[in-house]
Amino acid sequence: MDRRKFLGVGLAAFAAIVAPTTDLRALNFRTTAPKAWEVEKTADGIKALYGSAGTKTSKKLTFKAPKLAENGGSIPITIKSSLDLESVAFFQDANPRCLSCVFSIPEGAIIEYDFRVKMRQTAFVTVVGKERGTGVLYSATKEIDVSIGGCGG
Amino acid sequence: MAKSKMKIKAKEKGGVVKVKAMFTSLMADREESVKKGIKPEYINHIVATVNDAIVYEVSMSGFMSENPLVKFKFKGKKGDTISFTTTDNNGKTETGKKKIK
Repeated sequence: MDRRKFLGVGLAAFAAIVAPTTDLRALNFRTTAPKAWEVEKTADGIKALYGSAGTKTSKKLTFKAPKLAENGGSIPITIKSSLDLESVAFFQDANPRCLSCVFSIPEGAIIEYDFRVKMRQTAFVTVVGKERGTGVLYSATKEIDVSIGGCGG
Repeated sequence: MAKSKMKIKAKEKGGVVKVKAMFTSLMADREESVKKGIKPEYINHIVATVNDAIVYEVSMSGFMSENPLVKFKFKGKKGDTISFTTTDNNGKTETGKKKIK
């Protein structure tokens, strides 16, 4: 085999080995569960993302949200949990597609995530967490009043 | 196209690092982009790493607020560097780094 060619093949093989490992480290739910991002209803979204819609409520999974949001374009949400969760997802019924964001949680992390969402109208929001190992789903629900809708609406 | 900018603040106290990060993105999903007459453009994946270990990871849709601001905590120490990578719906990636204070 030509030496030049051999080097090229070796490099390609090396790249092929390296590339998947870097991908595996990061778990992008946009690619692993593409269907979940297209559904409108929360219950269907949970099913599409986690494969089952049966959830338990737990005091250990809570989230903070304003009861009345004046600006629907920016609603602060804080998710807190003392459970050992694998991932946490945030759903709402206000927008055309229910899933807003999914956190995949590294082991031993402190679960306290703060972010802002857009909502078109008054609706229920749901936080669903999946426990590491057992796969049990926990959820928490709240209603948020939106006086001026975000989302360009 | 929005100017690429990433603001990161990371501070350590008692073994826990508090991080605040702001990303520049229009966060325009399909419906909103039609109204504004622009192409859909939103960040759909953010990863933060320290010493090659993931400390924060989120996949999201265009229903997060414009210029998303995220806050989180993790166990870490001073002097380490936290680096963020964001991917948007068009496949564009951006990275930002910051030393933990």
